[in-house]
Amino acid sequence: MTQRLQIGFVFIIMHMGFGYLMYPRLTYSLTNTGHWGVVLTYGLLQLILITIYKKGLNYFPKEDMVDIFLKMGRWVAFIFLFPYAINLTALAAMDLRAHAETITSIFLIRTPYLAVLILLFFISTYTAIKGLGTILRTSIIFFITINLLVIFVIASSTVNFDLRNALPAWPSSLDFLWNIKFFYLMGFSAILFIGFIPSETNLKLSQLFAAWAYVLLFFLSGVYFPLFIFGQETVSTFLFPIKEAADSVDIGWFVFNRQTIFFGISIIGFNLILTAVQFWMVGKIMQKLVHWKRSKASYWTSASSLLAFIFAACVPNRIWIEKLIYLSGGTNVYFIVTLPLTILLYSVLVEKRTAGYEKK
Amino acid sequence: MIINPYTNPNVCQKYKEILLRGQIEIINLVQEMKSAFSDQDDFFVQDAQFDGTAFFLIGFNTLIDFAKSNLYVRQMTQRSASVHELFLNLSDQLDKDAAQLKKAVLDGKLVLISESGNNAIVEPVPQSLRRSVEEPRNESPIQGPLDAFGEDIELNIGLIRKRLGTERLCLCSYQVGELAKQRISMLYIRGKAQTALIEKVDQRLKQIESDIETIDDLNKHLGKRILSPVSHLFATEVPVQAIHSLKKNRIVLFLENQPFALVFPHLISDMLHTANDRNLPIGLSLMIRALRGLGVFATLVLPALYVALTSVNPEILKTDLALFIADSREGIPLTPVLETLIMTILVDLITEAIVRLPKSVGPTVTMVGGVVLGTAMVEAKLVSNLLVIVITFMLIASSAVVGVQNALYIRSLKYPVFVLASVYGIVGLIVGLALISIYLASLTSCDIPYMTFRMKGKEGIK
Repeated sequence: MTQRLQIGFVFIIMHMGFGYLMYPRLTYSLTNTGHWGVVLTYGLLQLILITIYKKGLNYFPKEDMVDIFLKMGRWVAFIFLFPYAINLTALAAMDLRAHAETITSIFLIRTPYLAVLILLFFISTYTAIKGLGTILRTSIIFFITINLLVIFVIASSTVNFDLRNALPAWPSSLDFLWNIKFFYLMGFSAILFIGFIPSETNLKLSQLFAAWAYVLLFFLSGVYFPLFIFGQETVSTFLFPIKEAADSVDIGWFVFNRQTIFFGISIIGFNLILTAVQFWMVGKIMQKLVHWKRSKASYWTSASSLLAFIFAACVPNRIWIEKLIYLSGGTNVYFIVTLPLTILLYSVLVEKRTAGYEKK
Repeated sequence: MIINPYTNPNVCQKYKEILLRGQIEIINLVQEMKSAFSDQDDFFVQDAQFDGTAFFLIGFNTLIDFAKSNLYVRQMTQRSASVHELFLNLSDQLDKDAAQLKKAVLDGKLVLISESGNNAIVEPVPQSLRRSVEEPRNESPIQGPLDAFGEDIELNIGLIRKRLGTERLCLCSYQVGELAKQRISMLYIRGKAQTALIEKVDQRLKQIESDIETIDDLNKHLGKRILSPVSHLFATEVPVQAIHSLKKNRIVLFLENQPFALVFPHLISDMLHTANDRNLPIGLSLMIRALRGLGVFATLVLPALYVALTSVNPEILKTDLALFIADSREGIPLTPVLETLIMTILVDLITEAIVRLPKSVGPTVTMVGGVVLGTAMVEAKLVSNLLVIVITFMLIASSAVVGVQNALYIRSLKYPVFVLASVYGIVGLIVGLALISIYLASLTSCDIPYMTFRMKGKEGIK
């Protein structure tokens, strides 16, 4: 039970990491009214994918995603999963790079982002090398502290809320569905993480729904809380809307000048877990795919983290970060659609084949 | 029965007589014992006669209270008809081989060898080499029983048996070591502790080949942790605590000559809970535990926070507070990092110095070190007033933790956080705390994570 709870926490934290990254900004650019429509559509589509994925995985209760692909054949696994590992590395790199930028802008204005980047990479790689058990156990501490901070930030900024800013509440049209940016938005999702733990010990579908409901609630609050404060016109011009929203609050009795630091602290927390899990996933994939003598997950994790660091350090500015985040997010969509479908198809095929044998 | 007065074994009269009579077999045995212990002056071979047969009493007079043991043997002779019957009356360990006899002598037993070739290992009246049950020295329980473990392993196990009268309390003993066999005992409650865990510990204890002198020697054999400040074992002096751990599905180890029960596995809750807390109403015990948690947090955070706020991130404070801090540091030549580092190390030094000082000197050092030096440093404008407050707070906070070793490791972990904070400010502080929680979460002993709050019983998976 404890482990299930921990997996749920990690799942939620990973999505919160994505949610703080670009999610509100993308939502504001997709629609002018009724932002909940975008969030809920996103939620529904992801939910369908989760269900498909989970159905497929449940057919192989003792194996994780990589094992299932290996069953289909080494080359199939390689074709599907190797690009995914690369994509995960790119996602982690961009994620850390963007957050390093945010963190320097909040705390360390005079420090070069590279210093923060090195720190973040070091910690997340260390966590990833320590393995899933460590990540799961750490997630409880992180989840509680981070959620308290987030709730504090949102609750304290309610003084600046003006609910009329979010009007009209009804979405004007469903055109956003055909917008390329909605496609990018779909890429902000870590549902594939579920497949890395055998379904026996993993979350059940109903528990997963509960976790997903929490994530959606968080996404909604993340989108609406800057919106309530600034309104659509202003908010769509911000690079980090949540940061600006947290910055707008001044609490008289408090020791700290700006409560943005709490926002900053929670970003560090989300990120460490998010990227650590991503690096760990890369390590796991590569360890199972490649059968060398010294194929240890920790080596692959370190290698992918080094690669990600070089990649992140090479990105020159914020415009590029944004472009590359969209690109890696878009590629991620490809994987979160194809991998669950492939697993489901394979499970159906296996089922038919075994049923056929039984008939004979 | 006639017993010759105590003589040096080398000039033992009876021995010479027997030698003359040519009873080679017996002589061989006694001779072998003598040559084995020829370098020990406290070794004695005492001859005696009963029912016309000679026999020898052999042992160490530093381990055996000879006068009383002798009296005991003498009293037993009155109830026996022959030497053989005497031996039967005295002991049930009869006719052992030479190696066993030697070991018995080393273990402080009295060995009897008779002329007719019989021998017996007798439990003598021992020299009292152990202190009796005393109050705990390292822990001072409030509202709880005041007895503590001693150096004697039997006494310690007895203290537990006395309180936990159940047949489910199991005891396994091990003799390990290269030079001298050291006794280790493992206690657990059958049906509570996980079988897999017991088996693993059992296997590891059996594999020990080197000498186990200290708790850390034992710790190394229970799992690899290079340079880790966190041990696999939690040492406690108080029987109540050990029993509480046993009931909470854990294993208790006893090492001979160590006045501690070593609870395995060591969990993070040991830092915050003691068994005696539960003598208080639940609200109060929760408050005490929360204070201990706060103590851990404050120890890790305070010096780092001071450095972060003064040297890297002064702007995140409210203006008047930031000005106050800047004001208190006015005219101080040292940088905040150096200032804090000097003070933390100084405080740690004082704490370490006081520990081993005689009680008569301790207060002087405390006064000179703490009061005089602190005041002088502030008045000389070497460190700021605020820092002195921060450091004092930290020192007090670090002492709130349960267990000396836990307090030490928390104190040692503040340095990495401090270093990170001095480079990255608040970010460093947060990352440092995250790093520590990740590190602690990564620790496991026999697959049981250190961060577990409740050990699952036999039915549990992990």
